[in-house]
Amino acid sequence: MGTLLRVNMTTGEVQKEAVPEAYSGLGGRAFTSKVVRNEVNPTCNPLGQNNKLVISPGMLAGTRAPSSGRLSVGAKSPLTGTIKEANAGGTTAQKLASLDINGIIVEGKPVDDTFYLLLINEEGCSLIPADDYKGKGTYELSELLRAKYGSHIGVMQIGPAGEMKLAGAGIANNDPEGNSSRYAGRGGLGAVMGSKGLKAIIIDTQKINSSEVANSDTFNAAAKKFAKILLDHPVCGQGLPSYGTNVLMNIINEAGALPTKNFRKGRFDKANEIGGEKLAEVAVQRGGKATHACHSGCVMRCSNIYPLPDGKVCAPVEYESAWALGAHCEIGDLDDVAMLNYICNDTGLDTIEAGGTLGILMDAGVIPWGDGKAAIKALEEVALGTPLGRIIGNGALYAAKAYGVTRVGTVKGQHMPAYDPRGAKGIGVTYATSTMGADHTAGYCITANILKVGGFTDPLKKEGQVDLSRNLQIATAAIDSSGLCLFVAFAVLDNPEGLPTIVEMLNAKYGISLSVDDVIKLGQQVLRDEREFNARAGLAKEHDRLPEFFIEESFNPHGTKFDVTDDELDSIYNF
Amino acid sequence: MDISKIDGDKQVEIRFFGSLKRLAEEKGWLFPCLYQLDEECSAVKLAEMMGIPADQIEGAFINGIGKPIDTVQVRPGDRVGFVPYGIPGPYRVLLGFHKKYGNK
Repeated sequence: MGTLLRVNMTTGEVQKEAVPEAYSGLGGRAFTSKVVRNEVNPTCNPLGQNNKLVISPGMLAGTRAPSSGRLSVGAKSPLTGTIKEANAGGTTAQKLASLDINGIIVEGKPVDDTFYLLLINEEGCSLIPADDYKGKGTYELSELLRAKYGSHIGVMQIGPAGEMKLAGAGIANNDPEGNSSRYAGRGGLGAVMGSKGLKAIIIDTQKINSSEVANSDTFNAAAKKFAKILLDHPVCGQGLPSYGTNVLMNIINEAGALPTKNFRKGRFDKANEIGGEKLAEVAVQRGGKATHACHSGCVMRCSNIYPLPDGKVCAPVEYESAWALGAHCEIGDLDDVAMLNYICNDTGLDTIEAGGTLGILMDAGVIPWGDGKAAIKALEEVALGTPLGRIIGNGALYAAKAYGVTRVGTVKGQHMPAYDPRGAKGIGVTYATSTMGADHTAGYCITANILKVGGFTDPLKKEGQVDLSRNLQIATAAIDSSGLCLFVAFAVLDNPEGLPTIVEMLNAKYGISLSVDDVIKLGQQVLRDEREFNARAGLAKEHDRLPEFFIEESFNPHGTKFDVTDDELDSIYNF
Repeated sequence: MDISKIDGDKQVEIRFFGSLKRLAEEKGWLFPCLYQLDEECSAVKLAEMMGIPADQIEGAFINGIGKPIDTVQVRPGDRVGFVPYGIPGPYRVLLGFHKKYGNK
């Protein structure tokens, strides 16, 4: 069941083949990590011909399961040198799955600098020369492609940053309205796509939930039950649709874990100005939306549509972006933050890495702290390919080296997201030990009643954090493979029927008999595949560490340091 | 509440987040607001004294430490943050204010 597209960018051939046994039954992150582990030389140049870009819809994508349209993109990362899986919403996963495509493997590279589009439709797939689109930002290219092929298409694309093979480049997917803003952002996979000479992938089909289901009556009943589980839970049914993820700005600030001024403080005095409550109010006042779905069938609708004063629209402004481009840089103007977010989307940059890098430039004295307009001017240089722009586009560690800044919050070369590890030590364990570098989504999912993580774990103490992070990472690896949005985890945490219902849907779709334990084992295997690749790529336990200033410097308001020991960190993969 | 009449030693500084912020604003509470608290009380009682139903609140931060609302006390001089149900992320568990929520 299912097909695999192999796209050879050296020969220009596109072949459709049955999914081989080694990848059978896998989807999403399980698929991408297995392929990268099996087929990519871990010591290859990530921007060379021997890396592969692997794309896979999650196992439930293309069905009527609620909030199931997630896409995984994998490769060896040019930012971290590790295996990488970046996960995105938008419309492309549903369309690929509806065309019965389990995965796309892009290999080789063109012999010249020509760029191509990969067009996939119900008749087949083909590579089309696309040099006319070189240099275009993602918003303009979305409009051009939708005008040419129809507004129903799914589009994955890179911006100028990816074309220039900058290590902070991501891959944009469009939402149902065509905004090129749902990013497979982290780890520089946009640069890998650019190194393959691929400007965009177009999925030309109206279908979004036509994926084959083995037992449709059982599936539909389970999907209906799961939708109710989600909607009955206040996070999914009320919280996310009201304020989206940026409601966390004020809360993480209150916890004293909001990294401010390049991890110097845990509170930002203008957090309220760039938080979710303010965002919802302004968005609605300007005719935007405080709630929005990034793909059809999502019941949580955590996205937003934020109109800027000049008429542009940034959809969405999420917590991680608002933090990186806001509090991290002490920028307290929501319109400046949204404009920076828009520029990242258009240029094809990961907002977290871009914001982290702007903070480094501020520490270096290149831009004043808190100066949103200066940050905008600097970020605009990325698309122009100026020397400063190329420094910014290559990420925080690269910029830190260029300017002699030693205070840089990266792990395995990737910048940390929006939680200080001294204010929430469990997150710090995940940052240090994740196979992906400093990654918040690697340990984002909680299923306490399944993983038996019970009771209260004090975020300011190290006790219990390694166990918590381990279980989060395992469960997240499983969820990343399923196609479900990670945010379903909140309902699953509180409802013992949650995870069994997910398993019911998987079994009904594929005609198999998984148990809940099998899902946990899937997550464990994904992590084993990734760890093995990283070890062969030359990574060792010494890379599973936080920058030393987190260990040496106490952090206000709580006066804490990150004190989880090296031995404790090294115990995380003892399964 | 007339801020000028609050005894500095007996005030608490309070923030309401998410949907609670709108509720608090409707009752005239600023962000943040100061409230006179003469003696220690439960966080539940404090919320109710301010006209915010405690059953809409999952957790409370007291001086930056989050716990389920029904487990914490507030003392004069504290900084308090009230968190509604519906906040996303594993942070509800990681930051300590998660309360298990049954289906409606």
